[in-house]
Amino acid sequence: MLLDYDRMGWLKIALLGFTALVAGFLLLPVVFIVLLSFGSSRWLAFPPPGWTLKWYQELFADPAWLDAALTSARIATMTAILSVVIGLLASFALVRGRFAGREILRGLLLTPMVLPVVVFAIAIYAFFLRLGLGGTTIGFVVAHTVLALPFAIIPIATALEGFDKSIEDAAIVCGASPLEARLRITLPSIRIGIFSAAIFSFLASWDEVVVAIFMASPSLQTLPVKIWGSLRSDLSPVIAAASSLLVGLTLALMVVTALLQRKVRT
Amino acid sequence: MTQPFLSIRNLRKAFGAITAVHDVTLDIPKGEFLTFLGPSGSGKSTTLYAIAGFQDPSSGNVELEGKSLLAVPSHKRNIGMVFQRYTLFPHLTVAENVAFPLRVRRRPEAEVKKKVADMLALVRLESFAQRLPGALSGGQQQRVALARALAYDPPILLMDEPLSALDKKLREEIQGEIRRIHRETGVTILYVTHDQEEALHLSDRIALFKDGRIEQTGSGEDLYLRPATDFVAGFIGNSNFLAAEHLDTKDGTATIRLADGSVVSGVRANGAFGKGQKTRLMIRPEAFGMERSPTSAELNVDIVDVAFYGERRRIVAQTATGQEIDIRPTSTAMQSHDSTQCRQVYFDPAAAFLFPA
Repeated sequence: MLLDYDRMGWLKIALLGFTALVAGFLLLPVVFIVLLSFGSSRWLAFPPPGWTLKWYQELFADPAWLDAALTSARIATMTAILSVVIGLLASFALVRGRFAGREILRGLLLTPMVLPVVVFAIAIYAFFLRLGLGGTTIGFVVAHTVLALPFAIIPIATALEGFDKSIEDAAIVCGASPLEARLRITLPSIRIGIFSAAIFSFLASWDEVVVAIFMASPSLQTLPVKIWGSLRSDLSPVIAAASSLLVGLTLALMVVTALLQRKVRT
Repeated sequence: MTQPFLSIRNLRKAFGAITAVHDVTLDIPKGEFLTFLGPSGSGKSTTLYAIAGFQDPSSGNVELEGKSLLAVPSHKRNIGMVFQRYTLFPHLTVAENVAFPLRVRRRPEAEVKKKVADMLALVRLESFAQRLPGALSGGQQQRVALARALAYDPPILLMDEPLSALDKKLREEIQGEIRRIHRETGVTILYVTHDQEEALHLSDRIALFKDGRIEQTGSGEDLYLRPATDFVAGFIGNSNFLAAEHLDTKDGTATIRLADGSVVSGVRANGAFGKGQKTRLMIRPEAFGMERSPTSAELNVDIVDVAFYGERRRIVAQTATGQEIDIRPTSTAMQSHDSTQCRQVYFDPAAAFLFPA
């Protein structure tokens, strides 16, 4: 290979340095937020003069924060379920189907991933206002499901493409109806794809802020919306604590996914 | 005539403008091991898939004991099938795989347990019951697939090139297993392969496919010793085809003139030929001998190369017109110092066949 890592000589060091720089640039803000959430300075001063857990105590003592976190979890869970169900059906159509317009449908379903979120947010806000869905849980879930769908379709469709349809045919010859074969054989065989889809869909909703700002009402706020709102009123380390929790859950879910995928491969 | 067990009637299958199966008619008695043999794209797999219900034929019928199968969906046909690719359910153990067809039939648990044990004993994989398919070799996976396909006692077992992914030694071993299982269970087997040796080794009868039609149906011996067409002669075993002019036919034996001018009489004519018609004479490589006998015909050749193959020698020779032919006499029929010279080789005209050019 032209760019064989083992043969790069001194370039290897340059590449390592550059990679470390990019990784640091991406990760350091997150590290700083987490550090600041444990710092004793009220003004988010760095380095912190001392260490404390009081911002976390304040966070958990405030029912508004807890409420926002629960709202986020509820909406993300519903989004994940809806997105996986639709994503599963769509993947069967996209992978197995032979119909005119299949590529167009695939493109359409994946569009939310590349469309500027703010454009989508304004559009769906105007649309939901007419339907009376603004500020409702259903509105939130529907809007987030549109955003989450690509993240469900990609892993499920990939898993389904890697699954030999002859195995499903074998189950049918064995006496299973086509539906039974899919439920008992195909779905368990692509379960890692389905699981990844659920996690990614959950996360797509869990840390989504733009659409959420448009969808939110004073009585219905997700955690990112609450963080955003608090940032504008006062810059308290409680926000850093809330952000750290958000990052923590995201990280935990990513690790679980990675571990599961590794387990399946071995 | 009594009712045939499985009957394929004027089966035709077209995919758009391409017709994969033209007009296949075949009766299969109960308990027979029948092989669909043919090159790829000859329609043998399509025919098998029509029997399994994965392809709806464009026209024609498939009947089991007099009843049409066409209206019956695949999962209700009660047919066993082993596929070319490995199709064990990856998330289920070997025992659960074999139990699957019984579970979907809602058989009582005690019966399922007993049948799974019997089936794993049949394919000699008892000790692998709790393994996952991923931990099995290809040959073991196909044996489990066979156990799974037989677990519900299907009247017919379809096998679509089940050994093509295995290496030669393993293939021969499992061929032996399949023969034994056919003997022990008496199940009717339809087997698809493009490997003539496999077909000859396994089958009671072979249906040789070409371009969506059956060229000839018969035992391996029939196809080898009495090929109906030059395609059959060329596909089963090795053959030499020599250009010949037909002179006369009497009582089914023909007199011909070969390209080098020599006249041979007593060859078997497949069909009627006119005087002077261009034909091709088929001679098996092993039908050539090095010694003259009272009935033999002779052919002048230049010997180009001699290779020793154990029980036979393999000779590449050139006829007077420059055509290369393949000759395989037994090793004792020729001394090695006979090589690289011009000489006569002999063949029995009764073992040679005349086909249209």
